[in-house]
Amino acid sequence: MSIDITVKIGGEAGQGIQTVGDLLALVCRKAGLYIMAINDYESRIRGGHSFFQIRIADRPVTAPHHKTDLLVALSRRTIDLHEKELAEGGLIMTDQAEDGEKENLVSIPINDLAVEAGGKITANTVAAGVCLSLLGAPFNLYREVLSEHFSKKSDKVIQDNIKAAELGYKAVEKRVFHRAFHWDFGQPKGMLMDGAKAVAYGALAADCRVAAFYPMSPATGIMAELIARSDVFPIVVEQAEDEIAAVNMIVGASFAGARAMTSTSGGGFCLMTEGLGLAAMSETPIVIVNAQRPGPATGLPTRSSQSDLLFVIRASQDEFPRFVFAPGTVAEAYESMLRAFDLSERYQVPAIVLTDHYMHTSVWLNDTELTVPDVVERHIADKPADDPDNYNRFAVSTSGISPRIIPCTGEALIVSTGNEHREDGHISEAIDDRIAMVDKRNAKMKAMTAEMAPPEALFGDAGTLLVGWGSAGGAIREAVELLRDEGYDAGALLFADIWPFPADAVENRLKQCKRFLMVEMNSTAQLGSLIREQTGLAHSGTILKYDGRPIYPVEISDGFKRIME
Amino acid sequence: MVDVNDYNNEYENKWCPGCGNFGVIAAMKDALVKQAIAPHQILLISGIGQAAKLPHFMKCNMFQTLHGRALPIATGARMANHDLNIIVNSGDGDCYGEGGNHFLSAVRRNVDITLLVHNNKVYGLTKGQASPTSDMGMVTKIQRHGVISEPFAPLSVALSLGAGFVARGFAGDTEHLSYLIVEAMAHRGFSLIDILQPCVSFNKVNTYAWYKKRVYKLEETGYRPDDFEEALRLARQWGDRIPIGIVYREEKPTFEDKIPGLKEGPIISRRYDASKVKQLFT
Repeated sequence: MSIDITVKIGGEAGQGIQTVGDLLALVCRKAGLYIMAINDYESRIRGGHSFFQIRIADRPVTAPHHKTDLLVALSRRTIDLHEKELAEGGLIMTDQAEDGEKENLVSIPINDLAVEAGGKITANTVAAGVCLSLLGAPFNLYREVLSEHFSKKSDKVIQDNIKAAELGYKAVEKRVFHRAFHWDFGQPKGMLMDGAKAVAYGALAADCRVAAFYPMSPATGIMAELIARSDVFPIVVEQAEDEIAAVNMIVGASFAGARAMTSTSGGGFCLMTEGLGLAAMSETPIVIVNAQRPGPATGLPTRSSQSDLLFVIRASQDEFPRFVFAPGTVAEAYESMLRAFDLSERYQVPAIVLTDHYMHTSVWLNDTELTVPDVVERHIADKPADDPDNYNRFAVSTSGISPRIIPCTGEALIVSTGNEHREDGHISEAIDDRIAMVDKRNAKMKAMTAEMAPPEALFGDAGTLLVGWGSAGGAIREAVELLRDEGYDAGALLFADIWPFPADAVENRLKQCKRFLMVEMNSTAQLGSLIREQTGLAHSGTILKYDGRPIYPVEISDGFKRIME
Repeated sequence: MVDVNDYNNEYENKWCPGCGNFGVIAAMKDALVKQAIAPHQILLISGIGQAAKLPHFMKCNMFQTLHGRALPIATGARMANHDLNIIVNSGDGDCYGEGGNHFLSAVRRNVDITLLVHNNKVYGLTKGQASPTSDMGMVTKIQRHGVISEPFAPLSVALSLGAGFVARGFAGDTEHLSYLIVEAMAHRGFSLIDILQPCVSFNKVNTYAWYKKRVYKLEETGYRPDDFEEALRLARQWGDRIPIGIVYREEKPTFEDKIPGLKEGPIISRRYDASKVKQLFT
């Protein structure tokens, strides 16, 4: 029997919903299961309505499921809002029952049990205990997780929580839940990771030394991860006065010889576009992570979207080469950071990594092995030491790449400017200099394009391809499975490398299918526009979601069927 | 031995004849030579404006960046390598206008850099509009009825934010300005020299003659720059008598001192250790 169970915990902000979810995820990992969990919350610290939804499976799962098997309602509103999502035979576990128990409702006095265990603060441990008991998880597993989770706290805290767990288990020991299963899946299959952690770890593996940022949801989590590790890793993280300062700080840091990054969301990226241009003009490598959320302006601060693609590939005035990556999984997010730092330095251009709220705040069990470079190649020139007087920072070359040095590390002088300049870096308005420098910068594009991986094909020879990018890939993958199980000739193309656009590879792929449909989290199919611009090929339909919420596989398969009818 | 000629380059100067910037660049070269700093040991960072062009006219490491952004660029450079000796050249529009927020933050951080603000109280590069420091009532082609805002008071603002080295120089007194630059560079922490600088093309009020009649040197009055209240009073003195010199000096822990990760030396000098990355996954 295959395991695929969704537990949804809902309540008000500040009630500790996330803690219940974290405990469930830790127990599942320990049991050798896979999980995928999403966090849904409002832009507030207390009150309102939030939920944490965890999917538990015995195989890798890449997207959330639209049906809930076990709904944990820590507020009355959770029942009102989510009861309709219950799967057949699903249960609601709550301490909010008003008219006694119904057939599908388990009433548990969570707070009373918590007080009995040692304090209200253990309520989340009680709630997770109830869930695990209903699902048939061995108590010992939970006890081990609690001991590890609270290992830095006092013995009393650990004992209280174990007591709370016991009370939660006991409260439903007689209840039979048909989704209970035998928890025996061997060793943990990997590590629990959210996108923020994946991006931060990728940056550390890439030897990022300086990070600057201005707090903005959902990007701040990356910096929190970096700061948490700055005692062990050689990295300095500074909270800047605004996003303009943040991007310029990293330009300065990179100019001075450090690998440097910033992270923000769309609104902050708007402020960074000026600095992006400076990085381009001065050919200073930088990495910017744009964790997208819906806009324009403040938009939906705690929601997700894929609506900045065309913006970031064109952002800042005039034209210049840049890299844009849009990783679709946590493993890709990690690897994208490695590539962004390396390629940014190799070509002396800015690199942008496009993630989103969904990727940053969702948790996956990652079982893909991640690259850890033994040596980090910096692409810094050593030649000028031989002839420092004739060093030219912007020497024209066929590759467009000029020797880059670090200031004050030798006799050669570095002259750089955001104005158009001569080969030696001094300002010039001469026609020849302008043309030479534009051509030099653009000359990098050919080799940069060759660095781009073609989109990943799933059943690439299928008649109809679902085409998407970034984090929507997870749901598209599962939609293809659903559709093929139902006999549809469906496949997918998933883009993680966006710019420079791998036009030839894309054209070859798309020419082979009968039609392709765009699946994007924006209202105009931005990647679809780009594909048409770059290949001349047009999509035949769109499945678009721009309400800020995650896309579910079934929404894609339903959309597919609607278009095909 | 470092010679002043070491700092000369062949790049064509683009300032108006008589520009106050000539006094500033002469004082800078003199100060660097006095400290025996060679061109490859110094990094000049600037933004946009007539002042920000200065690094191009000196042979040394330089990065001319964006309007108002020299300070965050310099801050980032120091985060990467706090052995770098950095002077920032900025103007009143660049630093106090476009880069105002960065100025406030750089003072508060106490980044160990020297900031020279060529304050000519007018926009030169864009041809004569009022600047943040233009006096009330100054008439320009744009401010036809005179400037209606209070002038930005850089010294008072820097002092109130805890700046540890606050000075005022005069572009018409190169020797004194050179002395101030040496003192500012010797100061551990953020140092500001607001330089009174005539603009021969667009500021017909604050001319060389106007300043020469008014400026007096604090060093010649027996003033000791360690009294905060007195410093605030002097920072506000304007009109018939204008003080130049070190207004306030107090050493405090710098931005770089306060970052634990920089204790072992510049962050770029540390080694990459793959085993630490591998530990993240255990």
